[in-house]
Amino acid sequence: MNVVHQGDHPPKGELPVNIIELEKQVILMEDIQEIENLQKRYGYYFEIGNYQGVVDLFSEDAESVEIESCGLFLGKAGVKKMYVDTIGSNKYESWVRFCIQMMGGVVYVDPIGKTAKGRWQTWLCEAMPVGGVPRQQWLHGYYENEFVKEHGKWLFKKLHWNVTFYTSFEAGWVRIPLLGLLTMKMADAPPTAFHPYPSGYHVPYHYKHPITGE
Amino acid sequence: MMNLEDLEKQVIRMEDIQEIENLQRRYGYYFDTRNFQAIVDMFSDSADSADLESFGLFRGKEGIRRLYLDDIGRGGRPRYPSESWISTVIFQIGGVVNLDPSGVAARGRWQTWLAETFLYGGVPRQYWVHGYYENEYVKERGKWFFKKLFWNVTFFTMFETGWLTQPLVGLLPMANPDGPPTAFYPYPSGYQFPYHYNHPITGE
Repeated sequence: MNVVHQGDHPPKGELPVNIIELEKQVILMEDIQEIENLQKRYGYYFEIGNYQGVVDLFSEDAESVEIESCGLFLGKAGVKKMYVDTIGSNKYESWVRFCIQMMGGVVYVDPIGKTAKGRWQTWLCEAMPVGGVPRQQWLHGYYENEFVKEHGKWLFKKLHWNVTFYTSFEAGWVRIPLLGLLTMKMADAPPTAFHPYPSGYHVPYHYKHPITGE
Repeated sequence: MMNLEDLEKQVIRMEDIQEIENLQRRYGYYFDTRNFQAIVDMFSDSADSADLESFGLFRGKEGIRRLYLDDIGRGGRPRYPSESWISTVIFQIGGVVNLDPSGVAARGRWQTWLAETFLYGGVPRQYWVHGYYENEYVKERGKWFFKKLFWNVTFFTMFETGWLTQPLVGLLPMANPDGPPTAFYPYPSGYQFPYHYNHPITGE
């Protein structure tokens, strides 16, 4: 993976020397905007159960997808297996809801402009049956995702949502950090990093400190 | 038609806003993981002040070190024997950033939603917290820094009770501030935290 950070771009505040440099900077800003939109649309498709819409946001060469304790799914075939065949196979009644808020995007695009990484955090309000009873839930987690630009469009290359807690509306994360596991039998491998509250686990940042570079 | 020089200036302004948004969001992520040295490093050496909640006013870079490293960070010492369950999740939402025409100074407003957990009365408790930032930034050597950070709390309540029943769980005065909080008026005071910006249409 070509890991590149902000420090590799021309220093901010120094006027670009020519129209070519200027064009590159404009494209970089458009790329960041496109990636922000891709991530937010992912959430909106997920909410309404449009899993084909979600799958079509992934590159044909997608590496993997991993959310919560579901397990690791490899390649575009794995992406379809998880969203369409597993999550999408549930037929829910209309009161079952997923509201996913995508917040705090920090996106970095490599200088060539073909790959990118992004961090977000999420807050979810969910309603679903637990033990046969309709229950409402709070969830928190962090994304660290990878993106690739193909034929002028940004696509997911790798998606990883790391859950912090998954609790009931009434109890909260101190009493019930995790309502239950969501292990999926069809996964290609176990989760690579599933350390819910109160483990103290910190999802690593893809970026370096903007000032110290550490 | 715009000339190349003006176009360059506009591109740089958009990059500046993006950088400031990133700075603010990273501040939150560093706070979540209790990386207070990284936070201090995001403040200019000529920083004005930091003023959070009822902590008190901390002046200059020296005051900012005292606040984040010695007081909030407790000099690197764990707060309690078992620390991993103590958590802060800060959502930085709704940024409105305005650049000074000089291009080296800026102001930004955000609001925050927090889901926190720490010890209260000997037992682990969970909280909802809301507040607003009005922050100032400065660009030095091509990078944006915090110049002044001001977080004004609206409420700080228990998960179980809510802001109407219990607007403020308690005060959080720090040991060594340089002065009292400059504007600490939690719910239900009706206090409206002033905007740094004028109305985009009327200019008022």
